[in-house]
Amino acid sequence: MTEYLIRRVLQSVLVIFLITILTFLLIHAAPGGPTQMMLSPGLSPEVFKQQAHNLGLDQPVPVQYVRWISGLLQGDLGYTFKNHLPVADLLWPRIGNTFILMGAAWLLSLIIAIPWGIYNSTKVYGLSDQSASFISYLGFAMPTFWFGILLQQWFSLKLNWFPLSDMHTRGKEGDIGDLLMHLVLPVTVLSLGFLASYMKYARASMLEVLDQDYIRTARAKGVKERKVVFHHALRNALIPIITILGLDLPILVAGAALTESVFNWPGMGRWFVQMASEREYSVLMAITIVTAVMVVLGNLLADILYAIVDPRVKLGKQGGKAA
Amino acid sequence: MAKKRKWWSGLLVLSLVGVLFTGCSTNNTATNSPNATAESSAPAASEAPAASEPAAGAPVDGGTLVMSSFSDIVNINPLMINDTSSGDIAEFVFSKLYNLDREGNVKAEPWSLAADVPEISADGLTYTVKLKDGIKWSDGQPVTADDVVFTVDMAKNPETGSPLTSQFDKVKTVEKVDDKTVKFTMKQVYAPFLYALVQAVVPAHVLKDVKPKEMQTNPYGTDPAKTVTNGPWKWTSWKQGDSHTLDADPNYWGEVKPHIAQLVYKIYADQNTEVQALLKGDTDQISAIPVTQVEAVSANKDIHIIQKPGAQYEYIMFNFDSKNFKDNYGLFAGQKTRQAIAHALNRQGMVDNILKGVGALMNAPFLPDTWADPGDAAVNYDYNAETAKKLLAEDGWVAGKDGILTKDGHRFSFELQYNAGNSRREQVAAVIQQNLKEVGIEVTPKAIDFAAWIDQNVTPGKFQALLLAWSLNTPDPDSESVFSSKYFPPAGQNSGWYKNEKLDQLWVDGYSTVDQAKRKEIYKEVGKEISTDLPYVFLYQYGQAIGTGPRVHWAEEDAPEPSLGYGQYFHAIKWWVTD
Repeated sequence: MTEYLIRRVLQSVLVIFLITILTFLLIHAAPGGPTQMMLSPGLSPEVFKQQAHNLGLDQPVPVQYVRWISGLLQGDLGYTFKNHLPVADLLWPRIGNTFILMGAAWLLSLIIAIPWGIYNSTKVYGLSDQSASFISYLGFAMPTFWFGILLQQWFSLKLNWFPLSDMHTRGKEGDIGDLLMHLVLPVTVLSLGFLASYMKYARASMLEVLDQDYIRTARAKGVKERKVVFHHALRNALIPIITILGLDLPILVAGAALTESVFNWPGMGRWFVQMASEREYSVLMAITIVTAVMVVLGNLLADILYAIVDPRVKLGKQGGKAA
Repeated sequence: MAKKRKWWSGLLVLSLVGVLFTGCSTNNTATNSPNATAESSAPAASEAPAASEPAAGAPVDGGTLVMSSFSDIVNINPLMINDTSSGDIAEFVFSKLYNLDREGNVKAEPWSLAADVPEISADGLTYTVKLKDGIKWSDGQPVTADDVVFTVDMAKNPETGSPLTSQFDKVKTVEKVDDKTVKFTMKQVYAPFLYALVQAVVPAHVLKDVKPKEMQTNPYGTDPAKTVTNGPWKWTSWKQGDSHTLDADPNYWGEVKPHIAQLVYKIYADQNTEVQALLKGDTDQISAIPVTQVEAVSANKDIHIIQKPGAQYEYIMFNFDSKNFKDNYGLFAGQKTRQAIAHALNRQGMVDNILKGVGALMNAPFLPDTWADPGDAAVNYDYNAETAKKLLAEDGWVAGKDGILTKDGHRFSFELQYNAGNSRREQVAAVIQQNLKEVGIEVTPKAIDFAAWIDQNVTPGKFQALLLAWSLNTPDPDSESVFSSKYFPPAGQNSGWYKNEKLDQLWVDGYSTVDQAKRKEIYKEVGKEISTDLPYVFLYQYGQAIGTGPRVHWAEEDAPEPSLGYGQYFHAIKWWVTD
């Protein structure tokens, strides 16, 4: 297991490294660089060239990459081109803000979706199951930004129950109650999406397990239904759900750009969109790295949880020699 | 170099978000003279209440005004400012040598650094500026001639990479006469220079050791703690991508002190979220309500809307470089052909239906009702498909089998480029396509991502025709850098490779005298020549709707002035807020 994990981690580092090269090349291949984004095209080309030179943007891409990656290896994420601010200082608070928003939505949907999905698997096509299906379809089909705007119109502008946008009311930055109020609408929007998929997974996975021979055997032996569901079936049914949760981990950090934009949530998703349009290489690279690391971590975590939940899964040596 | 102009700085920001939310950015750093633009834009009526409306009671001191934008600043160092939001913040925290009045005249206002209008020598070659007594930086140091000299020298130095270079590159020397007096000596007579003096300066005592090359990365302008200012408010904090806080500076030197104690400048993701915030009262003022939403917003009686055409105009630019066309056959070579296109377009229809009446037709590159407006001297092309067809026939175009005109074996079919995500331009492009189809010309509108477009097509002058706008940075009519053959790409802004020797000379004549009456005559001639020869089809001047919430008040004479650059904050020092 340890050896396997080490190998996985090393592989992951290599993957991340390759991702950085690829992203760097892709971003630089896009037309319009950061200086162009900050300059009026109406300015003289001399001014433009001089500014690019002052920022080191006229260097060849490999040189820029090496400079960036060597900074990164020393824990330096670099500076924004536009206003020369340290990327790391800008990044961490945004990850935190996104984590608050996404984490709340994720937890909420988990708490509702898993029990509901399980319950529905025992009462297929009942009223509860039908309503869940309806919510699932809604969750999958409704564009989140549109849903967000609808909620804003009703619950903020018309009824005035919740704040329209932002994370805090001005002057109430440390107030938890205020934060919770600001969370309600965006969390509702985001939960709907999570809820829909988790509920589907929980229900389907449970149904599949309930259909297995050993469950039938248990039932035939006269084990109570409650025990069948919670003792025999649940543990196995959770395995695929846990995998999904692990794979969703990066989302918690990367954020939902649209929802964050609609609700003016100062998170990473919204920031990524802003910075992409401004060709802020160092920021885009930093976000890519963070997301790549999270994807890798998510996968690892899913595997580990998998092993814990399902004793049948043994993460031993892979067959054959490591190539 | 001639008048500095901007291509839609705000659009840069929207290029991505704009794909998701429709909306066109009209935020810009425009300046322009006139006060009369409202009259020229007939039917704004119901959406434009009297500008003085917010006045309610006597001014009170204190309170917070929340403004907003959909893009954050880049750098508020006056030497480096080149985007709308940075300019917004700078408006409040820096005083300028001179300010513009509502009519666009250069004035020494009570909040200007200069004591009086500049003395211009009889030969028009020297400008002497006298500073007020007692003007101070926020760190208590006096603002002196040294600051002005330092600022101009730094701006002129190409190594700085300052966007101000073109404003000051006709200055031969700038000298300190004494602590309060600065003398500018020009290389040549250059009339627009007066407007270059409507400029903030930087503190020499803070920046004197900074190398020009390092000015851009110096924390002055990006770190509130290190940005010493001299305006009525000081820059207290910046939460990147979220908000700025500006507090009234207790040490502000001006006789007129600001009423409002604190300004908050919030950053929203896009114009739509900004509008929502205005309706909710989260923000008190937004500088541009998208045209499509003005009606909905004006239904809210608490929101005060000022909507007039501003200092920007839209046009179709023809490309005269035949390399851009199939078989090197330039489709726009014939003057009558270009005139026919102007006749074929329903420009008034665009103003009425797409701009909802907030716009004014133009026939020359001078805004209507400004002193340089040539009026009837410029040719007005009325919407008349028959005239268009006649002119096309006279120029040798005949209808082909498919109904599209041909000449010398070439179909009259071209690509009209514009930037993606701008809903107004999308609609206008569709009208152009339809209008020209009716006279036998095939147009393929093509929307391209803004950055890619500017980079690959506009700057190098590689396109057949394009739909774009100019946002005018100064009220001066000089447009040499746009229309003179001295400024072909890539070194200049004459992206359509237009050459007209008569005009080339007229532009030079226009800025080589400071006698306004003479200049007026010259620009009249320019208007006549350019509207006849038509390197552009000038479409219309357009405007943006400034929306203000119920907490904000001003006296009539201090109301926002949309026709000026940053006119949404015109005389903000005299505004007040109530709760």
